[in-house]
Amino acid sequence: MADYQMPEWLLESQGPLPSFNGTRKVRRGFLEKTIDGFSQIMIDDFFAERIAGSRGLMQGLHPGIKVITTLLLIVMAVCLRTWPVLLLLNLWVLLLVYMSNIGLSNFLKRVWLVVPLFAGIIILPSLFNVVRPGDPLLVLLHFSGQHRFGPWVFPDTLAITRQGVRAGIIFVLRVGACVSLSVLLTLTTRWPALLKGLSMIRIPSLFTKILEMTYRYIYVLLQSASDMFLARKSRTVGRTNTKEQQQFVGSALGALWTRAFALSEEVHAAMIARGFNGIPRTLSSFKIEGLDWFWTGFTVLVSILLLWGDSIVGWR
Amino acid sequence: MHIPDGYLGPATCVVGYVVMLPFWATAVKKVKETLQTRLIPLMVIGAAFSFVLMMFNVPIPDGTTAHAVGSSLLAIILGPWAAMICVTIALAIQALLFGDGGITAFGFNCFNMAVVIPFSAYFIYRLIAGNSEATSAKRWIGGLVGGYIGINLAAMCAGIEFGLQPLIYGGPVYCPYTIAQAVPAMLFAHLTVAGPVEAIVAALVIRYFQVSDPSLFLVGAASKVQATVKEGFNKLWYIIIALIVLTPIGLLAPGGAWGEWGADEIKNKFGFIPQGMAALRDHWHALLQDYGIPGWGGDNPAFWQSAFGYIISAVVGIAIIVGLTYLFSRLVAAREAADKS
Repeated sequence: MADYQMPEWLLESQGPLPSFNGTRKVRRGFLEKTIDGFSQIMIDDFFAERIAGSRGLMQGLHPGIKVITTLLLIVMAVCLRTWPVLLLLNLWVLLLVYMSNIGLSNFLKRVWLVVPLFAGIIILPSLFNVVRPGDPLLVLLHFSGQHRFGPWVFPDTLAITRQGVRAGIIFVLRVGACVSLSVLLTLTTRWPALLKGLSMIRIPSLFTKILEMTYRYIYVLLQSASDMFLARKSRTVGRTNTKEQQQFVGSALGALWTRAFALSEEVHAAMIARGFNGIPRTLSSFKIEGLDWFWTGFTVLVSILLLWGDSIVGWR
Repeated sequence: MHIPDGYLGPATCVVGYVVMLPFWATAVKKVKETLQTRLIPLMVIGAAFSFVLMMFNVPIPDGTTAHAVGSSLLAIILGPWAAMICVTIALAIQALLFGDGGITAFGFNCFNMAVVIPFSAYFIYRLIAGNSEATSAKRWIGGLVGGYIGINLAAMCAGIEFGLQPLIYGGPVYCPYTIAQAVPAMLFAHLTVAGPVEAIVAALVIRYFQVSDPSLFLVGAASKVQATVKEGFNKLWYIIIALIVLTPIGLLAPGGAWGEWGADEIKNKFGFIPQGMAALRDHWHALLQDYGIPGWGGDNPAFWQSAFGYIISAVVGIAIIVGLTYLFSRLVAAREAADKS
């Protein structure tokens, strides 16, 4: 199983389709965006499958242990409140990424190009004294005086505050650490293995079974929806207005549900035919070895060390 | 609407899971009890549909696009309880596989999108549609209004969850905005863009069903799924109401987060320190000597001595972590090689 790999050419991106408008740059419409979104899901899945099938530190661990220890580390990361310790945690996660033979540049692109963008936009207003008062670090503008609108008070200067910058750095580092850990888990674990891990932390088998089946049918429905959008795109030659486009989305969703519901009836019939009586059963064969227990102990140790370091840095 | 990890503090995340537990537990119990074999494939397909629905780019008038959550539509088709299960599953796959929405924030993400939207949207839809004809305009108007109000209620909940963070943790440790900032910001985005999108999607799909096959959006009622799922969920309302009453009290309690007290706070609260905890504290102090190097600097170490102690401890700690990580990667590689041969 470990030797299963996607051929290189299937994973390469083809670049945008040629546009017939000559040199003028056309903004991508909802059809292109949706089709791209659908295929991106499949690309991500193939990518994860390839990494999960390769060898490395995280791939070699027992899936249940890996799920539990990663959850522990994420909870610990949420508890951390100081930047030096969060930075350390991030560097350690990058070390784990490296040891798991995931391309560092690819991982950095996935996490550290995205996180500062989204978390950064959210945190950006809090850097300014208008939103959260604090010691000014950099004064940008002077106003004529204080203003008051209901519960909001505007001070007489616009400045970036020291506290704001500090909190912003901590925030982005913490979100980055959490995202890194969950990306590391999903990239190095196949979906069935991940579900076995979940059932180890007492998630009811009903939920894991539904999760397992849902994962399969997501791709069936994605393919179906993708075909609909592609068919529509190939028939679109002129301009369309928003109302008509929204109508199409509504109809596509309605048609998709019609198909999905019929599919669920077929799946039900197939399950009944195979002796399903309402209670999902899973085959489970776990083999946790000494090494996996040591790894658990190790992550607990790392968590304690980092939380301890956090309390020292935070309290002085 | 998907809250990532790190926005909400640990105590808040625990509250999120505690709020969701009765919902999930009852859902599992009822699905197992009813033994309706049709229920599981329907939940599966519903969850997959919910996932794909969230991927749809809906065009909006300024030429760009937005995503709908779609929980209101699912609630109208399948009933709120089935929608709750489907959206929970879809959110779990997004969090676990695609990093959309955090794992620690999963409880509150489910509360906002799998509970608040379906239940409020369904209630409003029933209120407007009543027992009208399947082809009646009241149906799609109910979907329109339900979707709009539902997602805005969820946005308000998310805003309150964000806004409570500085209150609970005493400053900008997690999401830094106060309720007066977070709630209007969330509501503005949802009243203007996300709300209309959710409403239009629900209304247009209902219109589609009315034109193509009116029986389709009564799937839940028709296959008795809704009735079987709904049955026996009534007790849950008492738990939910109790939680709703209790939650703000716990969240707004002054001082440290609940359960995160230090020994002194416990002494203040209970008048004594549990014996085991006192013993633990003594050991802890003996071992760490106030975080300096044991036996160095005496009882009152100078600042540079303790600082030096911290730095040494940090360097040794990091070296141990890196060394052990490397060791583990070698051991795992050895085990993989052994499995292979």
